[in-house]
Amino acid sequence: MNTGPEQFESRWPHRWAVLLACVTFPLLWVGGLVTTTDAGMAVPDWPNTYGYNLFLYPWQTWLSGPWDLFIEHGHRLLASSVGMLTIGLLVLLWRTEERRWMKSIGCVALGLVIFQGVLGGMRVLFDERTLAMLHGCTGPMFFALTVAIVVFTSRSWTKPTLAAVSGAANIRWLSVATAVLAYLQIMLGAVLRHVPVDAEPMTFMLAVKSHVGLAGVLAIHILVLAILLQIRARYVRPLNWLSIALVGLLLLQVVLGASTWIVKFAVPAWATAWISPQSVAVQDGGWAQTHVITAHVAVGSLILGTAVALALYCQRLLVEVPASNGVAHRKLGAAV
Amino acid sequence: MLSRSTWLVTCVGAIAVAGCSESSPPFRLNMTNVVAKQISLDHQQAIANILGGMFGTPDEPIALPETGLDQRLLAMAAGPVWSDKEGGKHGLYRRHCVHCHGISGDGQGPTAAILNPYPRDYRPGIFKFKSTYTSGEPTLGDLEKTLHDGIPGTAMPSFALLPPDEIRALVEYVKYLSVRGQMEAALENHVAEELDANAKFDPATDPAVQQLIVKDLLGPIVESWNGAKDQVIRPEDGAIPPAERPAGDIAASVKAGRELFFGPKANCVKCHGPTALGDGQQTDYDTWNKANFDFITATNDKISQIDSLRQDLAKATGDEAEQLRKQILEAQAEYGSRSKRIAALLPPRNAIPRNLREGVYRGGRRPIDIFWRVSAGIPGTPMPASGPAAEGAPGTLTQQEIWQLVDYVYSLPFEPASMPQKKPINTEVVSK
Repeated sequence: MNTGPEQFESRWPHRWAVLLACVTFPLLWVGGLVTTTDAGMAVPDWPNTYGYNLFLYPWQTWLSGPWDLFIEHGHRLLASSVGMLTIGLLVLLWRTEERRWMKSIGCVALGLVIFQGVLGGMRVLFDERTLAMLHGCTGPMFFALTVAIVVFTSRSWTKPTLAAVSGAANIRWLSVATAVLAYLQIMLGAVLRHVPVDAEPMTFMLAVKSHVGLAGVLAIHILVLAILLQIRARYVRPLNWLSIALVGLLLLQVVLGASTWIVKFAVPAWATAWISPQSVAVQDGGWAQTHVITAHVAVGSLILGTAVALALYCQRLLVEVPASNGVAHRKLGAAV
Repeated sequence: MLSRSTWLVTCVGAIAVAGCSESSPPFRLNMTNVVAKQISLDHQQAIANILGGMFGTPDEPIALPETGLDQRLLAMAAGPVWSDKEGGKHGLYRRHCVHCHGISGDGQGPTAAILNPYPRDYRPGIFKFKSTYTSGEPTLGDLEKTLHDGIPGTAMPSFALLPPDEIRALVEYVKYLSVRGQMEAALENHVAEELDANAKFDPATDPAVQQLIVKDLLGPIVESWNGAKDQVIRPEDGAIPPAERPAGDIAASVKAGRELFFGPKANCVKCHGPTALGDGQQTDYDTWNKANFDFITATNDKISQIDSLRQDLAKATGDEAEQLRKQILEAQAEYGSRSKRIAALLPPRNAIPRNLREGVYRGGRRPIDIFWRVSAGIPGTPMPASGPAAEGAPGTLTQQEIWQLVDYVYSLPFEPASMPQKKPINTEVVSK
């Protein structure tokens, strides 16, 4: 892997990658809304929309049409934009990048976004929840990849300031484990969201318990990682703010997770000792239910993206304190 | 080139995955009942065929003319979820209900095990919150109200945002699942009680079976549903407290209601407890959980039955021993099929009485809702009826007394919990 700083002069791949990640996140949010509002089957054909080419569907009909059509067609248009931005990114990488592996990553991103689009299309054509579940797992994976490209093209990566910290190998390992757990948690969430209508109650309960249990494990990983980084590598800028952001997102996600349960299934009987039960029933399809649940899904992806960025920077920036050096925390200075 | 191959691999992979799963789940028989009644495989198939012919499938329900169900409404509610260009919603049951109530309306949807209370099993045709006498079916208006308002304090949401025609379609589909479930139970009972294991049960070849099914089994079920509107409990004009009353009248009514609450006549304290926190009896079951509890108990009893047969076998000889061996094998086989069924059952939960101090009223918070709860009880639960069982019949409480209890129930969230209580009637329960 050639990482010499003099080879990365153009800032455009980085800017483009940031734009791609920033457009992909709302796409995940809108995709979450499609599932939350059960709008996935609002347009029966694919890749067309009611016989029209996707881009030629009358915009007045789209904007003034029913919610399901609005959100599903909007999801497709936004997804197409992400696809085109990915093509643009690949072109940029091809023209400006010296690192061959970055070009390969650009190809993988394009392949993944096409795969995701086809999965979405097949989900519609076959009206198949299993494909919807896969679609729900691949979206966050693509988002994580766009975040990784942002990291790979950033100055902190191309012109790294290495930090020697004690236990660097453990921190690096922990950061990778955190990112993997964050993705597993998203997969479990997708299972819960797209459960087949004839699934056994005990199977679903097992999935719920796994999701809650894994949330606890992930929370511990995030907290330990953040504490270690704050103690040992606070002076490394990306590690500092990413670890703080990750803890902030974790807290937000815990609140959203509990709220998701309450807006979907009401205050559980065991919790009424602490939270007053609602005197009115939860409202199906109400604003709170729709957006709290969708936010929980979207913030899950944001945690994944942040964890991936943190893991990559940990691999890149942290090095073990040399055996001869007794000082635990030490900046090594310029790039090696 | 890369894109083309990715596209191809993706398509093949996606189609392979799609082909692996089932998108049109079928109705399931009530296997607890089937196993408990030891209905043979041939008879299970016959029952499934009859139900299929009478009621269709989850994707294509049939509104048999004899049932009075509305085919157009059923079609709106049934089948997979999709919406048309004009925004018309289809597959309403699978969009809104199936994840809790299950494809057969058995209350065993995927989320059932994580909910407390469990989602309602429509198949016995018993509904808790309704305006009719205890044994009557609910009116369509009762079901519409439950869907519109939801059930506060439970996972049953309010569908107030749905257009009225969608709520009406869902109510019709709930009624359809209920009538289908009641018909299934009637068929299973008939087969278990009236037929030998090898007897034919085929309405296609036997007009007498057709007659039996439509007239004797389906008839009473449909009659009960159609007669619901005549079963509504109508409060007497003179007994209904006026909306605006002097504070003194309300206080007197609350005081009288309190006397009834703790007194032997209404005896609410037995379950709701001396503090009305729902801390009275805690060990009773509702109908749905009792069925599972009884099934599990009877299965466990099989073990002692098998042990007893083995002891007898040790002492027996000749034909008697052979007979006992056969009985042991049969009992073991029954125990095996029962154990398999138990693994799929929701664990029975006790019916915990309502905490009346929370101000959360599951069946509705209007005075008339509380009146109906006290008068007709809550069918399927230990909450008994205090009013008459039918129009003109005597009840435990008069309508005036029921309204006094309504006033007391309304006052409970505001009554200090430390207020000295009368000595409870059921001291043995309360002392626990």
